[in-house]
Amino acid sequence: VENGWVLVEALLQGGAPWGFTLQGGLEHGEPLIISKVEEGGKADSLERPLHVGDELVIINDVELSGFRQEAIALVKGSYKTLKITIRRYTCLHSCVS
Amino acid sequence: MTTMMMNQMETTVHYDNGYEDEYMMQEDEWDRDMLLDPAWEQQQRKTFTAWCNSHLRKAGTQIENIEEDFRNGLKLMLLLEVISGERLPKPDRGKMRFHKIANVNKALEFITSKGVKLVSIGAEEIVDGNVKMTLGMIWTIILRFAIQDISVEGGTLMQKSKTQKCDDPLGNLNLAFDIAEKHLDIPKMLDAEDIINTPKPDERAIMTYVSCFYHAFAGAEQAETAANRICKVLGVNQENEKMMEEYERLASELLEWIRRTTPWLENRTPEKTKSEMQRKLEDFRDYRRMHKPPKVQEKCQLEINFNTLQTKLRISNRPAFMPSEGKMVSDIASAWQGLEQAEKGFEEWLLTEIRRLERVDHLAEKFRQKATNHENWASGKELILSQKDYETATLTEIRALLRKHEAFESDLAAHQDRVEQIAAIAQELNELDYYDVASVNQRCQSICDLWDKLGTLTQKRREALERTEKLLETIDQLFLEFSKRSAPFNNWMDGAMEDLQDMFIVHTTEEVQSLIAAHEQFKATLPEADAERQAILGIHNEVQKISQSYGIKSSFINPYSTIATEELLNKWEKVKQLVPQRDGALQEEMARQHAHERLRRQFAAQANLIGPWIQARMEEIGRCSLEIGGTLEDQMTQLKQIEHVIIAYKPNIDKLEGDHQLIQESLVFDNKHTNYTMEHIRVGWELLLTTIARTINEIETQILTRDAKGISQQQMNEFRSSFNHFDRKKNGAMETDDFRACLISMGYDLGEAEFARIMMLVDPNATGIVSFQSFIDFMTRETADTDTAEQVVASFRILAADKPYILVDELRRELPPEQAEYCIMRMPPYAGPGAPPGALDYTAFSTALYGESDL
Repeated sequence: VENGWVLVEALLQGGAPWGFTLQGGLEHGEPLIISKVEEGGKADSLERPLHVGDELVIINDVELSGFRQEAIALVKGSYKTLKITIRRYTCLHSCVS
Repeated sequence: MTTMMMNQMETTVHYDNGYEDEYMMQEDEWDRDMLLDPAWEQQQRKTFTAWCNSHLRKAGTQIENIEEDFRNGLKLMLLLEVISGERLPKPDRGKMRFHKIANVNKALEFITSKGVKLVSIGAEEIVDGNVKMTLGMIWTIILRFAIQDISVEGGTLMQKSKTQKCDDPLGNLNLAFDIAEKHLDIPKMLDAEDIINTPKPDERAIMTYVSCFYHAFAGAEQAETAANRICKVLGVNQENEKMMEEYERLASELLEWIRRTTPWLENRTPEKTKSEMQRKLEDFRDYRRMHKPPKVQEKCQLEINFNTLQTKLRISNRPAFMPSEGKMVSDIASAWQGLEQAEKGFEEWLLTEIRRLERVDHLAEKFRQKATNHENWASGKELILSQKDYETATLTEIRALLRKHEAFESDLAAHQDRVEQIAAIAQELNELDYYDVASVNQRCQSICDLWDKLGTLTQKRREALERTEKLLETIDQLFLEFSKRSAPFNNWMDGAMEDLQDMFIVHTTEEVQSLIAAHEQFKATLPEADAERQAILGIHNEVQKISQSYGIKSSFINPYSTIATEELLNKWEKVKQLVPQRDGALQEEMARQHAHERLRRQFAAQANLIGPWIQARMEEIGRCSLEIGGTLEDQMTQLKQIEHVIIAYKPNIDKLEGDHQLIQESLVFDNKHTNYTMEHIRVGWELLLTTIARTINEIETQILTRDAKGISQQQMNEFRSSFNHFDRKKNGAMETDDFRACLISMGYDLGEAEFARIMMLVDPNATGIVSFQSFIDFMTRETADTDTAEQVVASFRILAADKPYILVDELRRELPPEQAEYCIMRMPPYAGPGAPPGALDYTAFSTALYGESDL
């Protein structure tokens, strides 16, 4: 953990749709971020649910290069189980200035 | 036979008148004639023994050994009693010597009482068994009690003896002895053989024997007395005359002997040696023991004769005998006294002389011994004292020599006594008149001379040793001084050489200056150091001078110092060389430092211009980029101008680089004339270049963005204003907090997650700042983002006749060919239910296109 960044591992089961939307990617010079989480969806129903703003780091034990196409391919390649590791910025102290 | 005997007796009665001067020869004749001839002694002994026994028989005792049996005096007393018919005093019955002497004395007193003078016969001699004395005493007894009585009738005896013939001497004698024994009861006192064979038979023996005849015949002849009386008287006369003649003769002889002997006794010629004197003493002893006693006897005899004669004359009523002048008894007595006086004197003198010689010999021997010992001791000393060993000695050696010499001096002193003793002995020898005193004196003299010489040499040596010691001590002191001073001086020189050759690294002229100052200070100390050097050298020279002028030859190694004078001098020369060398080096360095300084100043001047200039440009660019009034194009133009100016300024940078190179080549690393280093300038310059490029690029991007997003200039200006407002630090970028404040001011109600997402978007590299471009991107995206994706999906839905998927034909039909093919290639297959094969998912494609994918 550095400065409020945490890594969270999520194991989604049951197959697509997984209930989240990816945005960004190295193709656009942006980080790969979760921009939407479907309410009640698989991503939302985890013990530690995924949040908007989480950055994808690893999919199915594959470290991502940052390209969205790659990430999409890896997600779509999963059948019944999808393992995701995200990086989340958590404010440990009061960040409101 | 008897006649012959008588004749023989007569001849033997005459003493030999042929005396020579040497008394020794007289003595020999006497001995030969009389008592000491063993034959005579034997005869006497025999005869006397027989005679004694003839009388002792009547007392019922005998003697065997005449010299032994009378020693205790008892038989002697008995004999006298028998012969005289008188009683003697009672003898002592003890066995001790004094008893015997007392008894013998009683006998002798009796004899003396009968008018017999016993000269020099003492009781002690008889008790001691002195043969001569004993026989003499017996003879005296015989004479007195037997023969004297015969004297009157001596002629009768002779007459009576004439009858026999002389043809068979031996046989006649023996016959005579036999007849005497048988008929006259006269024992055989003599041997016929003895008498015949001995040239001069013992007179006394014969007389004794003959006396017995008298006694034998005496009784028978009384009838013839009358006629005999006349013969007797005449005979007596004749006899008396004879006796007087005899006396005179004896007296003469004796006096002659005395006269001859006395000078010998009065001679005081000293002999040279003790042995010679001892011989003289021996001669004297012989005289006293052997030669004088007979003379004593002679004197005694003389006295006896005189007495006898006087007695006879008195008895026969004749006038007393008056000896001729000079032969009186008194004369003889006084002459004898004189002799004895001379004897005593002589003996004393002999003893004294012997003692003297003894002493002299002893002294002479002592002298020899002492002189030899001393000479032995002294031999070689002269040589030792003359040694010049001190010339090459060291100080410790000299001291040892002095110790040795001291010891020798005390040895010498100890010998002083001995020399004095030797001299004293020599002196005494001189006083005692030693015969070889000349050689003694010579030796003594040479000893004393040598002694004096030794004394002188000893003194001289002492002086020499002390003098040398002093010199060596002085030298030693000088050495010490030398070492004390040369060591620090040597150190100083070593230090100086080190300092003078010291490598220095300096970077400023001040440093060089201080080194130069230090060097000048050092130079100032040189005269003092030189003085010290002189002083030290002076010490060395002093040592040399002393040793030369006093001829001390020992090698001069300074025991206190290992530094040689040559070493010191060499170092000094080196120091002197090094001083100007250093001067030169320092001057060179000074010049160098000055040159460096010039370079520094040059660089500094340049850099101090360039630095601020760059700074000014940076500010200019900053201002320009923050400006709000005017269009982006205006900004661009300004920036381009600035860029132009910057590019035109490059040569200055190059020149500075050139200056910097020079500085670095000179290994100058500091420059107090400017705070700007080349690196600063470089960095600043590069920053300037990049800044201007970036800023221009930013403006370009802004223009593009404006054009692309359709943002009006006014909108742009609004964005700009907001941005500038929240750019608290005014450095063309917002920080995280600034951005948050900005969003809040724009009405965004942000949770942390949301804000994080937004930050992720505007600052994807997590630099912590939001640039104006990112800000604009964000602002424009936010308003357009979701719409765009939905619009496209909606557009595709229309084309797909409200189906969730689209077909290839439909795309080809509706879109231009290029876009249609692009979509066909890019669209993922639709995976929803009820879709025909080849159905494409336009939703996924759209969201993906706009940066979103639903999964």
